Amino acid sequence: MIEINLSEDEKDVLQELMNVAYGNATAIVADMLDAFASLSIPNIKIMNIRELLNTFHSLKGDSYFFSTQAFVGEFSGECAFFIDNESANNLAIHLELDGEEDLNDAILELTNILTSTLTTRLAKEMNTQVQFALPSISKIPLNEMGSNNAFKQYSQVIVIDTQLNFHDQKINGEIFILTKDGSIKWLKNQLNDILKTII
Amino acid sequence: MAEKSTQRYPQNNNLNEKLIASIDNGIIILNDELKILYFNKWLELHTSIKEGDIIGETIDSVFTNINARTLQRKVKTALRMGTPTFYTASVTKYLIPIKIDQINISNFKHMRQDVSVIPFDLKQQYVALIISDQTNMTNIHNQLTFNIKKINELNLELLKERKTIDQRVILTKIDTRHHITDISLAYLELLDMKKGDMLKSNYFDTQRLRISQELKEKIFDYMQRKEVLKYEEISLSSTGKEICLLNTLVPEYDKSANHIGFIIFGENITSAKLVQEHQTKLLENSRTAAMGEMISMIAHQWRQPLSVINTVVATLKIKKALNILNDEIIDESYIKIENTITYLSETIDDFRNFFKHNKELKTFTIAHLLQKSTQLLKAEIEVLNIDYEEDIDINIEITSYQNELIQTIINILKNSIDAFKEINTENQKISIKAYEEIAHIIIEIEDNAGGIPQEILSKVFEPYFSTKSKNGTGLGLYVCKTIIQEHLKGRITMKSKNDHTLTLIELPKILQNSVAV
Repeated sequence: MIEINLSEDEKDVLQELMNVAYGNATAIVADMLDAFASLSIPNIKIMNIRELLNTFHSLKGDSYFFSTQAFVGEFSGECAFFIDNESANNLAIHLELDGEEDLNDAILELTNILTSTLTTRLAKEMNTQVQFALPSISKIPLNEMGSNNAFKQYSQVIVIDTQLNFHDQKINGEIFILTKDGSIKWLKNQLNDILKTII
Repeated sequence: MAEKSTQRYPQNNNLNEKLIASIDNGIIILNDELKILYFNKWLELHTSIKEGDIIGETIDSVFTNINARTLQRKVKTALRMGTPTFYTASVTKYLIPIKIDQINISNFKHMRQDVSVIPFDLKQQYVALIISDQTNMTNIHNQLTFNIKKINELNLELLKERKTIDQRVILTKIDTRHHITDISLAYLELLDMKKGDMLKSNYFDTQRLRISQELKEKIFDYMQRKEVLKYEEISLSSTGKEICLLNTLVPEYDKSANHIGFIIFGENITSAKLVQEHQTKLLENSRTAAMGEMISMIAHQWRQPLSVINTVVATLKIKKALNILNDEIIDESYIKIENTITYLSETIDDFRNFFKHNKELKTFTIAHLLQKSTQLLKAEIEVLNIDYEEDIDINIEITSYQNELIQTIINILKNSIDAFKEINTENQKISIKAYEEIAHIIIEIEDNAGGIPQEILSKVFEPYFSTKSKNGTGLGLYVCKTIIQEHLKGRITMKSKNDHTLTLIELPKILQNSVAV
């Protein structure tokens, strides 16, 4: 396995692209929830699976709703969204949802919005298109995340990690965009193309 | 032959319409107010609703189960993002209620659906709902979930059982080089050792295991042949305590049937060994006591023949003094003395025979058994004026250990005789009955020597229990029970009513391969 690293310049470009994408995502989520939302400045890293699982473990709270959504195209991967129990309950109250079914649906919708807006925008900036699979949800205790086979297919992942906050409603979530080796290579090429046009 | 077209399928050939009509999905086009603008053939067939009847209606008025607020949100978001939003079968189950009649998925009343809300026309604010049937997938998913749950439950049960086995079963696992790979908690507790100290050590470690070289070689031999072997071992605990185990060595194989070592299941027989030793000691004690009783019986037996000899000798002396002693008288007296001495000698032989423990099974009649048993007691029975009666079929035969059975019957008869000595009763009687019952011989010994109180009847077979006022070791009936049950594979019970005591002995007609002590 060849280790792929992003140079500081490449990271800077990606960071800029993500900032644009996040602005878009925040506005749409705020529309959906009819509330003021903010996203933290994304933190971009390339890490192996062990490091990724450690990152999951470091999330606070015992039990999380965990949803994923795959995206395909030249740039492909998966978004993983974590929202803790308390935030999920606040989301239910805010959207006046009845029961677990509606809550799960709302979490999936939130995942979908974040995945779609972030990756679509990112893809657009890199002159490509992506398509989305249906999101899925499960409630997994974080200490069992290591045994989740879903992540075993990745050797190395690019992690774009940000926090979603709705201050008034106390809704916090964390989203990770995970991509595999092929997409990391593709992304690196695209970032370099953009870099060439800038310099 | 007509030439096939390789040109792109023309757009004007109603491609879209044809495809949409034949597609295996439901398609609904809605505007941003949720009004139905298109309802495809697939949906018409599945819902029995005609497109013409619902065009312009809001979808939630046609399908009242739909939560308009949620759908509105999804439509709005899709149009805002320019990318689809979704309903998933796993969460929302279905959007359009479509009944299903298939037997294999009859767990569901309605078709499970994934629905994509696609921003179809951003300018006009139209969305297309693409509905796909996910019932089979959901069914499989549910079955999988159910099975995973079941597996988890079974796994939990297994873990629990494994824990119980670990705590209760004495078990050692060794690899093919005899190194211990696992050892149960139950065994570790017995040995008073820690798992870490035992793992990887050699099973045949002489510090712990006390087995003979001969047995060790036998175990090696069975291991080589990968055969099951039962053997006894003595292990030393960390405190030096000896632990006797009855082990079963079983070869162990992995999933691919490769031989990976052996499992040794142990049964703690330390207490059983102690009991066995104790029992042997008790039997020895009882033999000593019985020997004493025998000597007293011989004394009784000899009294009469000795007085015969005495009389003959005295008669000889008198006749000699009177000078009337002739050869004929001498010969007669000589024969009489000789016969009597032979009788005395036979008594000694019988006595010796009773204590010679013959380990061979023998076939004999019950009549012969009783004759032998009562031979030494006859004198005492006569002196005490006890009426002795036998009611037996002289042809009944039994295959058993004769001397052990004689010892038992003498013990029971002696108990009756001793009981008569302690009470004054008229019409003293001992009667013995013997008869056959399919595969068994029943011997009943009854006396009227006062009986046994009911409250102590259940204790008479316990060791060191005696009702005798003196000279009772309390071992007699215990030994009888041990002999009858353990060695002769029979049953002995005692009943008492009024002045009568009835001892019932049930024996197998033919005893097989028992080990006499």
